[in-house]
Amino acid sequence: MKKAYVFIALGVALLLVGSYIGLFVAPAEEYMGQVQRIMYVHVPTAWNWMLAVLFAFGCAIAFLFTANTKWDARLEAGLEVATLFAFLLCCQGSIWAKPTWGVWWDWDPRLTSVAVLLFAFLGILALRGFVDDPQRRAVWSAVATIIASVDLPIVYYSVKWWNSLHQQQSTPQTVASQFHLPLRINAFGVLFLMIGFIMLRTRIANYRLAREMAMPPIGGEQAGELA
Amino acid sequence: MTGGVVVGGWGFVIAAYSLTAIVFLTYGMTLITKLRDEQSRAEPEGKQK
Repeated sequence: MKKAYVFIALGVALLLVGSYIGLFVAPAEEYMGQVQRIMYVHVPTAWNWMLAVLFAFGCAIAFLFTANTKWDARLEAGLEVATLFAFLLCCQGSIWAKPTWGVWWDWDPRLTSVAVLLFAFLGILALRGFVDDPQRRAVWSAVATIIASVDLPIVYYSVKWWNSLHQQQSTPQTVASQFHLPLRINAFGVLFLMIGFIMLRTRIANYRLAREMAMPPIGGEQAGELA
Repeated sequence: MTGGVVVGGWGFVIAAYSLTAIVFLTYGMTLITKLRDEQSRAEPEGKQK
């Protein structure tokens, strides 16, 4: 577990450095002014949210092929972290949208497709809470995750397909070179933080799973005792 | 906004960075607390065995 704490510490350190450069060293953008500095937290969150969704998707596939519960524990972690990042992404986006678009929210294809995935993952997490049988829960949530992840390419390409209000993807090619350094540092900061979070959350899921497996099944003698 | 240029906006920047810090900090603390709780629950069970 030391590794997880190392990743988190590294992530925090990088985020502090990247945010300092983004807030106080990097120049303001010509048209968006100071507000553009939100990019240094919003874009790394978006990139890593996509990675978290891909991670959950990969774990779902791996579980269905192997039926190994360690993949289910990782899937649970990936789902939770991806949901958290999607929520954060929507909030940061709203804060950026207000001064630049004039509204907190717009049913633009990019925003809508992210919101769809956020609520789909929330639904899968809720589903996991309702199903007691670990095997059935794992299969159902793996299948649901694969179906929900179909939305990820739509999120990515939405700005190209519909040429909507949301700007095109931010990449080193589309962003001025003065903005690269804080963007890259924060991208790695959020990445390390996400890896640490997923490792800790997987460990928690493994403990819970082990406890569930150790518990006698409800029914039979226990049901008789309760009756 | 003046002539297509956003003026000011530090409040929004501070809000975005603060929210990010609060979300990461709260989630990280929650995970550490839950993990410690799970570890302390697992230890007595291990000792019993």
